Amino acid sequence: MGSTLVTAQDRQTLVNVVSAAFPHSTFPRGPYERAADAVIAQAGTDPRFLAQLLQGLTDLDAQREVRFSELDAETAGAVLRGADGSPFLTSIVDSAIVTLYSDPEVWDLLGYEGPSYDKGGYVDRGFDDLDWLPDPKIEFEDEVPA
Amino acid sequence: MTRFSYDDSDVVVVVGSGAGGGTVANELCQRGLKTVVLEAGPHLTGEDYHQDEWPAFAQMAWGDTRTTSGSWQVAKDFPNLPAWLVKAVGGTTTHWAGACPRFKAHEFTARSTYGDLEGTSLLDWPIALGELEPYYDKAEIKMGVTHRHGRPPLPANNNYKVFANGAEKLGYRYYSTGPYATNAEPYDGRPATLQDGFNFQGDKHGSKWSTLVAELPKAEKTGHLDLRPDSHVAQIEHDAKGRATGVLYIDRNGTLRRQRAAVVVVAGNSIETARLLLLSGSPQFPDGLANSSGQVGRNYMRHTTGTVWGQFDKPVRMWRGETMAGVIADESRLDTDRGFVGGYYMETISLGPAFLAKFIAPGRWGSHISDLLDGYRNTAGMWIVGEDMPRADNRITLSGDTVDQHGLPVANVHFDDHPNDVAMRAHGQRQGAAVYKAVGALKTIETPPYPSTHNLGTARMSQRPRDGVVDRFGRAHDVPNLFVADGSVFTTGAAANPTLTIVALATRQAEYIATELNKTLA
Repeated sequence: MGSTLVTAQDRQTLVNVVSAAFPHSTFPRGPYERAADAVIAQAGTDPRFLAQLLQGLTDLDAQREVRFSELDAETAGAVLRGADGSPFLTSIVDSAIVTLYSDPEVWDLLGYEGPSYDKGGYVDRGFDDLDWLPDPKIEFEDEVPA
Repeated sequence: MTRFSYDDSDVVVVVGSGAGGGTVANELCQRGLKTVVLEAGPHLTGEDYHQDEWPAFAQMAWGDTRTTSGSWQVAKDFPNLPAWLVKAVGGTTTHWAGACPRFKAHEFTARSTYGDLEGTSLLDWPIALGELEPYYDKAEIKMGVTHRHGRPPLPANNNYKVFANGAEKLGYRYYSTGPYATNAEPYDGRPATLQDGFNFQGDKHGSKWSTLVAELPKAEKTGHLDLRPDSHVAQIEHDAKGRATGVLYIDRNGTLRRQRAAVVVVAGNSIETARLLLLSGSPQFPDGLANSSGQVGRNYMRHTTGTVWGQFDKPVRMWRGETMAGVIADESRLDTDRGFVGGYYMETISLGPAFLAKFIAPGRWGSHISDLLDGYRNTAGMWIVGEDMPRADNRITLSGDTVDQHGLPVANVHFDDHPNDVAMRAHGQRQGAAVYKAVGALKTIETPPYPSTHNLGTARMSQRPRDGVVDRFGRAHDVPNLFVADGSVFTTGAAANPTLTIVALATRQAEYIATELNKTLA
């Protein structure tokens, strides 16, 4: 669980940071929320990261007239680029990139099928179903001459 | 389960259970020799493996801290993870994909063939291809390599179809689905592949050759194998005559144990092997064991690598099927007119969204990452793997102040790309992009090198003791009953994925140890 120091507003801002860092028009809010919650959980075990997170989110909210979570996507991206390379943003990105793209809902949205062994692999489920190119040879004729 | 006594000084101790150690152990057991295998990692099996990249990585990878230095990009992107190796029974054979090219004749004479290239420590091997050929045959039969000795090829999967059609259009001729050490049909008591798409995470089905599913179970059946997982070797001990007498290791309870031995075989992969020899220094061997040449840890090679992704307007679904069952060999030829010496292979590769996102531009974020992931379904991938140049200062040393959980200094991995490596990588990525563009790629993306999977050269074979660490059989020049059985012994790296050659060399070495043990060693 995350620290009680992380407010609902902080979490809201963090969700928007993750979605501004990895913007996908097809993604609902759920995967971004789960990625943000994983960042908060990680910060809960690392006081230094927690301190940077709390201060960093406060800073982001103060960059423009309105809070970070109320910015349009383009402005949010620009504000975030201003924090590029900071330990605060680097820690968020390092954590979120792992969680976000390991999320089964995201896999589904991207078309990735995840674990396959319990379904018998793809030997009878389309490992070779690509049909927009001809079937190539699979044997080599001989060895490459030295 | 066989157990030999700690004080049994007739045993052969093998440090590490991967391609080198697992193979040597089985070959020794088949000859009736008492063998103790000390593996630093746990005994995971197919049931344990996760088909989910990050949990799989956390479960299998050698995650103990290492440090890095040098100008290579891995030091910047993954400063504490210079290599992507496995810490578990079976070693990195549980993670490897299965590509099995042989070395070419000229790759054993790199110094003579390429000349005195500035900034390299090139050296000819003390053995020739002809001497290794019978052992390549044995290794291929042992591993059930496709396309060889009557084993059928694997069929074309989706990623291969894109790759091979691009190769054909570009005028390449030597492309195929192997040789590859995963069963296309049942072989050696193991089933045919289910094309389930997971290799790097361990093969749950056991179709892929590894020492976990092939060599070690066979060794176990002889009654001569004492396999001890969770056993981290801290030091090789020696007597006043400079002969190895055994090892000290930390067992799973954290207790320091001594295992006596007649012979010690080190096969911890190039980084840990060099580290262990350096850690085994003593007043008699102040620079580390077997290091009178000063060559231990030097000439570290990691293959020139890179990845090219092609994105199309139609689905590829590259994650289905055998990950690396596709190779273009045309660029592995000897041809120094391309602006570099050495050759390279192109091989199919696939990553899931989690690792693709992490590796495509490490540390970066933004729409150029998320846009690429949006095209995931329509993505094809290939890996470039080629010969890199040995350099004296590319080396493993003991880190000054960083220690592991046992208090032992960790390995520092220093690497500077040679200009030849840079030229080869650029050529490979250009050709790789051309392959995909030839079949209509909308865009191609180049990914920088991953943490090293091919770690080579840190205890290299040499004719003269002053040029290397071990002789033509992998026996230490300085210590007559100490052997090295992994990729550390490679004098030069060649273009080929190293596992087949490690297995061939280990098979030959075990034959030699068994013969010698009754003569000079005993």
